[in-house]
Amino acid sequence: MSYNKPVRRGLAAGIAAAMALWPAAAGAQSAADIAVEAAKEYSGITLNVLYEAGLQPLDPKNFTGPLWEELTGIKINVIEAPVDQMFTRTMQAHLADSGAYDVLNVIPNQMPDLALAGALEPLDAYVEKFGFSAELDMIAPVYRDNQMRVEGTIYGLPDDGDVLILYYRRDLFEDPENQAEFMDKHGYALAPPTNWEQFSDIGQFITDKYAPEIYGAGMLRQPGNAQYLFQERFRVEGGKFFDEQTMKATINSDVGVAVFQAMLAENDFMPPGVEQWGFIEAFNAFLAGDIAMTISWPPVGRWAAGYGRGTEALNWIPETTVADTIGYALPPGGRPELAVGYSLSVASGSRNKEAAYLFAQWMNSEEISLQRVQLPYALRDPFRTSHFESEEYRSRWPNAGDYLDTLKAGAETGLLDLSLIQTDRYEEGIRQALSRLWGGEDPQTILDDLAAQWDELTERIGVDKQKRAYLDWSNKPNAYPN
Amino acid sequence: MTARVNELADNTTVLKYALVAPAVFVILLIGLYPFVQLALTSVQNVTMFGADNSFHGAVHYERLLGDERLWSALWNTIWFTAVALPIELVLGYLLALLFLQPLPLRRTLIAIILLPTVISPIVAGATWRLMLDQRFGPVNQLIGWIIGRDVEILWTINPSLVWPAVLVAEVWQWTPFMFLILLAALSNVDREQLEAAEVDGAGAWTVFRKVVLPAIMPVVVIAVLIRGLDLFRVFDVIWTMTQGGPGTRTETISIYAYQMAFREFEISYSAAIAFLVIVLLTIAVLVALRRVEIAR
Repeated sequence: MSYNKPVRRGLAAGIAAAMALWPAAAGAQSAADIAVEAAKEYSGITLNVLYEAGLQPLDPKNFTGPLWEELTGIKINVIEAPVDQMFTRTMQAHLADSGAYDVLNVIPNQMPDLALAGALEPLDAYVEKFGFSAELDMIAPVYRDNQMRVEGTIYGLPDDGDVLILYYRRDLFEDPENQAEFMDKHGYALAPPTNWEQFSDIGQFITDKYAPEIYGAGMLRQPGNAQYLFQERFRVEGGKFFDEQTMKATINSDVGVAVFQAMLAENDFMPPGVEQWGFIEAFNAFLAGDIAMTISWPPVGRWAAGYGRGTEALNWIPETTVADTIGYALPPGGRPELAVGYSLSVASGSRNKEAAYLFAQWMNSEEISLQRVQLPYALRDPFRTSHFESEEYRSRWPNAGDYLDTLKAGAETGLLDLSLIQTDRYEEGIRQALSRLWGGEDPQTILDDLAAQWDELTERIGVDKQKRAYLDWSNKPNAYPN
Repeated sequence: MTARVNELADNTTVLKYALVAPAVFVILLIGLYPFVQLALTSVQNVTMFGADNSFHGAVHYERLLGDERLWSALWNTIWFTAVALPIELVLGYLLALLFLQPLPLRRTLIAIILLPTVISPIVAGATWRLMLDQRFGPVNQLIGWIIGRDVEILWTINPSLVWPAVLVAEVWQWTPFMFLILLAALSNVDREQLEAAEVDGAGAWTVFRKVVLPAIMPVVVIAVLIRGLDLFRVFDVIWTMTQGGPGTRTETISIYAYQMAFREFEISYSAAIAFLVIVLLTIAVLVALRRVEIAR
């Protein structure tokens, strides 16, 4: 599946026109222009770009890759890896000094590990040389300030506004009969939940009334996804991952146990088998109208609204039944998880570092990134202030403005994924704990084991070393709610 | 004359060694070198943050002793091998006995039975994961039809069901291997001995114990050794179905070593784990071979 030539030429012409207008408006050559001009020197080479397997590579395969080749003569070769293997693949290539990748997609909370291991190329000199500082500053602050640097050095260009927000069915929430019944039962108005108690009340209310046709909610429960919901909720409810003085894990506090118990209890008003639900299952159920609420990544909000309908790349998506009724809100607690996300980095082992950087700068630039986040099949979500405010984007579907406003609010209040030295090992512990939770084990026992596992890991890494990394992370404004 | 014969014999010996030497060299190169490298790495300190190639003694081996997750993974591996191997052997034997008889479409049926063996284990795992899927899997649907109501069995999540689920996948894929080997062995049992035993009035169990088993034993031992080693290294099918979960309940030694080496990049520690596995397997194989010698 690929864009045919006329479409590609049309896109190229559109981008070229936009690029022609941009410098005039700004009074200077744009970052995209600069990147294209400088990259022509490398015409004829091929850049290997590591992308998450699945839908993510549709952008470089169908849009940015062909366009970049047309503009610069540099070919883009997309190499795919499952999301949970991207760190491994990156490290393997680095340790073997294979030069297998030039441009990397890096999950921001893994950036410190990769940078400290020497797998990433520092980008400050390139940013300065190719005049990208001004456009980097225009990235939404939460991504710019937290997903770009390690110990003050730029290692990645924040490129994806991932945030977990609440999607709900307005028709059910605004139904007068439902509103009256809910008010009678709970004494407050039926509206998007602002805390987890309300979430439970509403979920149970809808399940009691409509199941098995419609359930109150269907959530991400596969441990790889659910860990982000846990990380968010644990902090929203007041939990801290570690004691700042001793670096002892406090994940097994009363808050942690209460969150585990609540997550388990909520499964009762969700569809049977929800314990196995990942992104696709929850997404399908929401589009089919089988669930009233879900919390997920931004593409759900676009595709459920019908954006991209008819696009060949999205023909696997079931026909949405909630296009006219989808509502957007921040999740309970109002501090959504900035789960995963991606930054564009240059592999330190790349044989074409400058060309790799130029491709990353071009993709990440104001005008190209605005096109990319609007690709119907894109998984890249708005991450620049201009994306949230784009009139073009806001007119894409009837309540696209609400969608972008919610994403923007999420970007302002969102919570960062835990980031430490060897983060994945700590997250692996959460994933295993969640799989034990769904397996029916006692929450307190599971979390005590997790805390012991974390403590052992911290000891091995070095308490003082890890403490510095933790404090560096926890002192960021978006690490904890307060 | 005697001197001439001795000289020839000596030359023959030299020639024999000369002819074998290249093969030995290649085997040493591809077998011994990685082993030595593994042993060396296990006493160094290579992690994701760098390679300290200086000698660190037995620090990683000391860590092995106190690593509960390792011993749990080792126990899971031994348990899995001990359960799966006899099941595959017995089912394979029974199938082989069945197919010793002249059945209609015998060749076609044998080819169909062998199909799982030619599938990659990772595909077998993925297939069984789908078969056991709670929503769309045919297994739950079938059970639902039989008992007359929908069932929501979480095969790969429920701690008490996850091992049986993995075992079914493993046995489904590798019983045909046992079947094939045993069918070949049984086909070669001396008919005259069987007939003589029958004429002498020996019962079925006595015929099996005194005639069939000794005849097929060398093949059975080889088959058990091959499958035993495979089961001890099991990775793909479990990884695809459960990734070692829930928690670490289905984590085997290979999965744990993989996690340490390629997710945590504790290269030296995972080398120590691998070295431990090699030692354990070598002992097991030597004991098994020794027992076979004694049996002979």
